[in-house]
Amino acid sequence: MLEIRSAQKTFYRGQADEKVALDGLNLKLGTGEFGVVIGSNGAGKSSMLNAVSGSLSLDSGQILVNGDDVSGLPVHKRAMRLARVFQDPMKGTAASMTVAENMLLADLRSKKRSLRPGLTNTRIATYRERLSLLGLGLENRLDTRVELLSGGQRQSLSLIMAVGGSPDLLLLDEHTAALDPRTADIVMAATVRAVEQLKLTTLMVTHNMQHAVDFGHRVIMLDAGRVRLEIAGDEKANITVPDLIGHFAVKTDRMLLAS
Amino acid sequence: MDFVQTTFASFISLIPVTLAQSLILGFVVLGIMIPFRMLSFPDLTSEGAFPLGGCVCGVLLAAGASPLTAIAVALIAGFAAGCCTAFIHLRFRIHTLLAGILMMTMLYSVNLRIMGKSNLSVFGAPTVFDWVPFTQPGFPASKIVAVGLLSLAVFVLLNIYFKTERGTAVRAVGANPDMAEAQGINVWAATIGGVGLAGAFSALSGAVMVQSQGFADVNMGLGILINGLAALMIGEAIVGKQSVLRQIAAPFVGAIVYYQLVSLCLAAGMPPPDLKLATGLFVLAMLALPSLRRSRGPAPAREAFRE
Repeated sequence: MLEIRSAQKTFYRGQADEKVALDGLNLKLGTGEFGVVIGSNGAGKSSMLNAVSGSLSLDSGQILVNGDDVSGLPVHKRAMRLARVFQDPMKGTAASMTVAENMLLADLRSKKRSLRPGLTNTRIATYRERLSLLGLGLENRLDTRVELLSGGQRQSLSLIMAVGGSPDLLLLDEHTAALDPRTADIVMAATVRAVEQLKLTTLMVTHNMQHAVDFGHRVIMLDAGRVRLEIAGDEKANITVPDLIGHFAVKTDRMLLAS
Repeated sequence: MDFVQTTFASFISLIPVTLAQSLILGFVVLGIMIPFRMLSFPDLTSEGAFPLGGCVCGVLLAAGASPLTAIAVALIAGFAAGCCTAFIHLRFRIHTLLAGILMMTMLYSVNLRIMGKSNLSVFGAPTVFDWVPFTQPGFPASKIVAVGLLSLAVFVLLNIYFKTERGTAVRAVGANPDMAEAQGINVWAATIGGVGLAGAFSALSGAVMVQSQGFADVNMGLGILINGLAALMIGEAIVGKQSVLRQIAAPFVGAIVYYQLVSLCLAAGMPPPDLKLATGLFVLAMLALPSLRRSRGPAPAREAFRE
């Protein structure tokens, strides 16, 4: 379960280019719920994700994961509970290390690292099995350095790494945006399969309206650092892409009027 | 013909002495490799940590401490120096190279304070080489055996460590710090510990060097960094750096080959003052080679030292 309570963040406070990124944002995501976040550029999507993962510290407000306040914890401590897939395939993996070593790093995300050997035969067998689910042949390239993989393969690997330890919360940061349409579909299908199988509480940011319509239990639209609109239940099940874009249009008109 | 013969003869006669020296300096090369390759943290601390280890060891030997105690304290001092460099970089976001320069400059004063004067003779004090059986103390053989065994032990231990769960995490910090952090790795702890370990190895080298040569000098670190870098480049060219095993073997192999090359140059009559220029040009060539190979056009605007 994820709960964001009146999150407030202002960049460059008191300067000419002061920018309110999060303006008293409230959001609650139940256990096993799959929320899809949309919003135009600068709406606060990335700031919200960064605030949850810990790479952005809030001016005020709280972040709760499964009821525990994690607001004061650094990124590496929050990693015990949450996993994240970045937009940039380069960011989520260690390029100069092998596929198996990357899997090991993710595997130990929520555990204490010991001085025992890292890549044991048992672990390698487990990783091979997990990667074979993707159907990309990565299971036969465990000793390949990740820098030699394609963007799609790297992103698929990031996904498998993220869902590996069944994290309390999965953050997907436009994780298919940098991929070609076909690969994006493969990665998205793998995401949905994993999220449904493991019943992961998931927060996905996307610019792809079709994805927002097709996937998830709830659509959350952000605007100017707060939740503008939430669509869930039957309404979410029946919504179409034009409807969603309509909401964007309304917002844009309002912005025009306001300015 | 005569020239070749005399050169060769003096080179051969120098091999054992050079080998002993290169094994000792292998630890500095290791202290340069660990931050540079494992942590992507180009570090200059070794230029100050090497004489620091020497000065600490010298003072303790002169005070009558056992050679092992002297080495142990030098190790701790070097570790602290490395930790400071890493902390300066992390806390104040100062570039790693600048943090290293600050540290080695400050260490010069610290080293002088420790010794109280610019050099200190500890000739005749007991050394770790006295304990090697079947050899005459003071001769290269005892040094080669003692330092050779130590190198082997360090090599095996590091090779095991960097393949453990924790060692893999440290390497991840060098490969991609953002990703490492997102995987629950404490980047600060890994960086400070890793650079500290490297400082400890540089100081170890200085301490053993002082026991080997019988005196400590605040200027003994001058140019050690560029020599070490040259040795590392040679080692990587010979054994490669594709695996943990090769990457850790490279400093030791490189040190041995590099100092034999230097010895050959000196035997051939090269004036010692020209050595630094030659070494510098060599390192430059090794660093420039990849970019020259990549394109014949203008060099890409990337820092070769960071690769």
